[in-house]
Amino acid sequence: MQRKKSPVLSSVLSLIVPGLGQVYAGSPSRGAAFFIAIAVTAILVRWRGNSLLYTGIAVAWLWNVWDACNLAQGRRLSSILPFLAIALVLYVIGWGVTEINLRRLLTDVADVKPLVSDLFQPAVFERDIEELVGEVQFESPCSDSPPAKGSPLESEPYLVLVDKTCGDPGDTFTIEGGNFWPNSRGYIWWSNLAGEMEFRVRYKGDYLTFETDEEGRIPPTTVIVQEPFAEAKDKGPQLYRVQARMRRETGPLHLSETFFLVVEKMVETVFLALMATTIAIIIAIPISFLAARNLMGGNPISMAVYYVVRTILNTLRSIEPLIMAIIFVVWVGLGPFAGVLALAVHSIAALGKLYSEAVESIDPGPIEAITATGANRLQTIVYAVIPQIVPPYLAFTIYRWDINVRMSTIIGFVGGGGIGYLLQQWIRLLMYEEAGAAVWAIAIVVAIMDYASAKAREKIT
Amino acid sequence: MLQIEHLTKIYGDGTVALDDVSFEVPDGEFLVILGLSGAGKSTLLRCINRLIEPTKGRIIWDGTDITASSGEELRQIRRHIGMIFQEFNLVERTSVLINVLSGRLGYVNPWLSLLHYFPREEVDRALRNLERVGIADLAHKRADELSGGQRQRVGIARALMQEPRLMLADEPVASLDPVLAHSILRYLEQLNREDGITVICSLHFLDLVRRYASHVVGLKDGRVVFQGLPDEITDRRFKEIYGEEAERITVA
Ligand SMILES: Nc1ncnc2c1ncn2[C@@H]1O[C@H](COP(=O)(O)OP(=O)(O)OP(=O)(O)O)[C@@H](O)[C@H]1O
Ligand SMILES: [Mg+2]
Repeated sequence: MQRKKSPVLSSVLSLIVPGLGQVYAGSPSRGAAFFIAIAVTAILVRWRGNSLLYTGIAVAWLWNVWDACNLAQGRRLSSILPFLAIALVLYVIGWGVTEINLRRLLTDVADVKPLVSDLFQPAVFERDIEELVGEVQFESPCSDSPPAKGSPLESEPYLVLVDKTCGDPGDTFTIEGGNFWPNSRGYIWWSNLAGEMEFRVRYKGDYLTFETDEEGRIPPTTVIVQEPFAEAKDKGPQLYRVQARMRRETGPLHLSETFFLVVEKMVETVFLALMATTIAIIIAIPISFLAARNLMGGNPISMAVYYVVRTILNTLRSIEPLIMAIIFVVWVGLGPFAGVLALAVHSIAALGKLYSEAVESIDPGPIEAITATGANRLQTIVYAVIPQIVPPYLAFTIYRWDINVRMSTIIGFVGGGGIGYLLQQWIRLLMYEEAGAAVWAIAIVVAIMDYASAKAREKIT
Repeated sequence: MLQIEHLTKIYGDGTVALDDVSFEVPDGEFLVILGLSGAGKSTLLRCINRLIEPTKGRIIWDGTDITASSGEELRQIRRHIGMIFQEFNLVERTSVLINVLSGRLGYVNPWLSLLHYFPREEVDRALRNLERVGIADLAHKRADELSGGQRQRVGIARALMQEPRLMLADEPVASLDPVLAHSILRYLEQLNREDGITVICSLHFLDLVRRYASHVVGLKDGRVVFQGLPDEITDRRFKEIYGEEAERITVA
């Protein structure tokens, strides 16, 4: 470092390979920083960036030459300028890679409105549903003896065929009916004769609906003859049932089926957290002693155990519980057990580390004092060690419990049981009112648990 | 009679904390160990009850070789040696009474003690000892709620539970103000005079040494550099123990 280096050579080196001049001038770490920063940024620009961004790299590159020149003369420049140039380039790339699109954030805000409003109307209460069905039989394709047109009934809802009673798929025919609720809307359904295959008929993409008049009559409505069901293909003429269905809510509000389902799954969720936390505590306590340096120090074998345990704990801790859950779902199958295992393993790793740090930070003084009274080892542990580790163990356990309650609500997203499984399904089926009920249940339970554990924590300190 | 013979302690990192230390402590003595920080006072005291394993040398107490004992025998010896500490070493978050009772762990049924059960007479003994150090009213407070002086008195009460014949005190007053220092040392003096307990106490201040010691051992860099009566510590002797730059500090 004392001997002056040639500034020209240093500059040329840095011009060819960024950082090389700095290495030559005796500052290898600075050289490495320049090289890595410029190389990585250049690769990223090539991969995802706009060629305009090469300007930023050029600035950094030129500056790096200037820096090498100065360094050779023993002067260190502040590297704020190339740092800013590189940072700017990286943020521009980052903006693109993460597809940030502020315009959409503003223009598409309407899309989320129904979802949010459904979430705020969780399906907690519902009324009973009552349904009116009228039906008539239709044949496709036509046989020698097509069915009758049907006839109006006295007081029951009915449907009759107006023009045809049979036809090929794609043909249209007309129906009408009566004795439905007045001034209401209903849907047309199509099913096979046995009634176990059925669907709502669509017309030009929308469901085919009808509106009744003030006397509950269905005006003439055009229906398209549907394709045969797969199993009835090439079997010749078949009878189908054409139905008009109308539903409405009736009676007083009562707690919904969704509500009870959510409660049931929420109970499962809390138990999932409880089992996982308890299993973790039981296993983490002995492990924490093996991972405590102050207990394991001294002889090489116990030190080896210490390092092995620490390494395992650190590795396990770095695996997210959701990923762990995927592994256990494959192993023990879908359901809460997989979730319990995933959370338990992660918690063992996390608690093992926290507990062992609590053991490491105990004051050796009381241990010394109790040993000096002639107490045996077990007495020393009970009187000098346990009183010191119980408060931190409790605090860490409560903290872990909080995390596990939260995690258990989403572990179901990957099949680990609990309320998350329902929530994920409802979101996929666009059943946002039901999803809303689940979201509210999660929020309420997590808030209650948070409050309770905050109280518990106050007690122990 | 406690005999220390050629005691040497070399720590794992090679530090020689005690170097061929030999002296004798007749029963009933109030021996003060004097020395700079790092001289090896704590190491010496902890070798006596084997909280620290000596590297070489022997410690013989009334004919028993403490350095050769182990297991149950060592615990039997330890329960007759009380110890108090500069940092008190009480178990925080635990009541004063339990702290004091824990001094009796070497005597009571070990299994019952694990359940924190102590017989009535032991509880009475604890209360008597607390009374003796003047803090009977604090029995049910938590140790971490006490002041420094009160804590050290709990430490003494705990040591008294052992009915010790020898009391080790490692700078018992270094964390306390001068007034409290005297009051704590007076308790030790009282134990020494009235109960005939041999006291080995490490101290920093010469005034306290003159006032309480019946005999003094000076340590420097792990070696004995002075042995004699407190009055024999002249300024020149003092400088031998504490180094040339040392000034005497006076304690009220
Ligand atoms: N566990 C240990 N490992 C290594 N060296 C130690 C250890 N304990 C003490 N020592 C060293 O041994 C020497 C004597 O220490 P000791 O604590 O006995 O001194 P002391 O006279 O009690 O000092 P103080 O007045 O500061 O308490 C010191 O140099 C210290 O650094
Ligand atoms: Mg010391």
